[in-house]
Amino acid sequence: MQQPTVLKETVIDCEGLSTQEINQRVKALAAEGIERVKLLNPAGKHNLAVGIVEPIEIEIIGSAGYYCGGLSSGLNLEVLGNCSWSLGENLMDGQIIVRGNASANAGATASGGRISILGNAGARAGISLKGGTLIVAGNVGYGSAFMMQQGRIVICGDAGDNLADSIYEGAIYVGGNIASLGADAKLEPMTAQDWQFLETELNSLEINFAEYDFKKIVSAKELHHFKAQDWFKFKDAY
Amino acid sequence: MVDKQTLETSSTYTPQTIKAIQQRAELGRYLIRGYGAFRNVPRFDDLVFLTASLTRFPLEGYREKCLTKTVLGTRYAKRPVELEIPITIAGMSFGALSHNAKVSLGRAATLVGTSTTTGDGGMLPAEREASAKLVYQCLPSRYGFNVRDLKQADAIEIVVGQGAKPGGGGLLLGQKVSKVVAGMRTLPEGIDQRSPCRHPDWVGADDLKIKIEELREATDWQIPIYVKMGATRVKDDVKLAVKAGADVVVLDGMEGGTAATQSIFQENTGIPTLPALVQAVEALKELNVYGKVQLVISGGIRTGPDVAKALALGADAVSLGTATLIAMGCNKPVYLEDYHKLGTEPYHCHHCHTGMCPVGITTQDEELMQRLPVEQGTTLVANYLQSIMMEVQSLARACGKSDVHNLEREDLVAMTLEASAMAKLPLAGTDFVMG
Repeated sequence: MQQPTVLKETVIDCEGLSTQEINQRVKALAAEGIERVKLLNPAGKHNLAVGIVEPIEIEIIGSAGYYCGGLSSGLNLEVLGNCSWSLGENLMDGQIIVRGNASANAGATASGGRISILGNAGARAGISLKGGTLIVAGNVGYGSAFMMQQGRIVICGDAGDNLADSIYEGAIYVGGNIASLGADAKLEPMTAQDWQFLETELNSLEINFAEYDFKKIVSAKELHHFKAQDWFKFKDAY
Repeated sequence: MVDKQTLETSSTYTPQTIKAIQQRAELGRYLIRGYGAFRNVPRFDDLVFLTASLTRFPLEGYREKCLTKTVLGTRYAKRPVELEIPITIAGMSFGALSHNAKVSLGRAATLVGTSTTTGDGGMLPAEREASAKLVYQCLPSRYGFNVRDLKQADAIEIVVGQGAKPGGGGLLLGQKVSKVVAGMRTLPEGIDQRSPCRHPDWVGADDLKIKIEELREATDWQIPIYVKMGATRVKDDVKLAVKAGADVVVLDGMEGGTAATQSIFQENTGIPTLPALVQAVEALKELNVYGKVQLVISGGIRTGPDVAKALALGADAVSLGTATLIAMGCNKPVYLEDYHKLGTEPYHCHHCHTGMCPVGITTQDEELMQRLPVEQGTTLVANYLQSIMMEVQSLARACGKSDVHNLEREDLVAMTLEASAMAKLPLAGTDFVMG
């Protein structure tokens, strides 16, 4: 009979520890073969779980500050609280789930992996996204997906002004209202593949995709080259 | 027959201005070019050394030791960058430059014991391999930026701005966005790439402090973090960079080059390298971190005297960009027909943005690139750096210094009122300091 897998896990109480001490302990535990670590009392510290390339699951019990999970690859992170600016910045691959809200720049410049925010996200969510998937169960603020290059963003709620300004490629799905689209962004009809993607991604978060009237936004690709006749589009850009 | 001696020329509507107006009228957009400011500005040429005589004793030019070792990043990093010379190679992207040019710079830097720097396009594997010491730039675009390359870097340079276009973003026109370049930047091939001018994940100096901590956490506090800025409000900017936790401040004056930007930036923004350097040193001294936070100055530095004067005014090192490309053959009078196709001549070419560099340096065109073999580029840049270091040592020895870092303000005087005012040095032969 096959033995059930037992994860080797431990706990770090962050109270009284510096960010450097916490991250160093996480990396040392991963090197020892620990597979899961819980961080207690994070107290909104910045730069928690940054630069993680080791295969370890991290659970933060509470809220984190700036750059939570930033500059990581292969990260498996869950935050039982809120996160401040630039959650998962430059993530290469792996998964981040935030049970609360995330502030500005969530998923900025991430090139892979999946970042899921079960609450709302602030301004500029998915800015300069270069790949991977960003899911926000609630609303996002203004300027989200600004200069996005690739990847997909799913917003179940409403999107603030200037969504998807100057995006190069990739797709954004919005289930609620869009305050306004930015320069060079356009609506495109949803396809069966789009709905399939949403069903798969949202089911895994126990969100019923069918409850939302998703719209798809892509690049109009009209500003990919300098053309004199496009001047007004640049001039009037947000 | 027109008598040319009687022709009158407007100082407002010069032939160049007329041409520029008509170019705009045809294009319907601003003009774009490479290089930095073309306008005449007070520069290091306007200073001279008061070398030794009876009040100071010179060192023998070719015999007595004159040290050149330079260490950058001693403030917080566990592994500061140790260089043989106080000259580094500035950040220039693969994309703006050809593969061979980037590799040549890396190999030349390694030969003379200094560092080279990536650029707005990520870390080219061949560049990492060629460079014993490689500074990894963290730019607003974050093209190709990732934690794996970060962990291979010898230092990180957060680019807030550059002298050719402080406040402006990068630009790489479609003809240079080849399949390889596009792949590294995650962009569609052939688009006109306009990089952002602000970082996507932080805004002001308070955020920058946290960003610097993030980069240190990701690199286990091992390597130095430089902050590079275009020279504008220098004193305040340097102080903010220091307070945000920079190990090294890199300051780029308006003579600093680029492969492409709007010409209005090059000529109308930022201040020259000379006053920028003086203000930066003052800012570091006011914060009592002079010598603890190193200062690297760049922008139009071309010769040994330029380097020596920058060191005497208080820089720890200088950074060279355009001059290294010229050493490789930029603007050399060869392949004349290709200069003519661009509507220019050798010694006047600033057409890096076109991607049709006649000498194969600022191009992604396979055929043109072959004109710069790596071996040749490496030798030329290494020779050039070596020669200007000999000049620096010659001047330092003549001033009686056994270490180039011992050159000091007292060794210099100004030749013009403008230089006197900007460098805050006495006018030659007087005790008068302008201003």
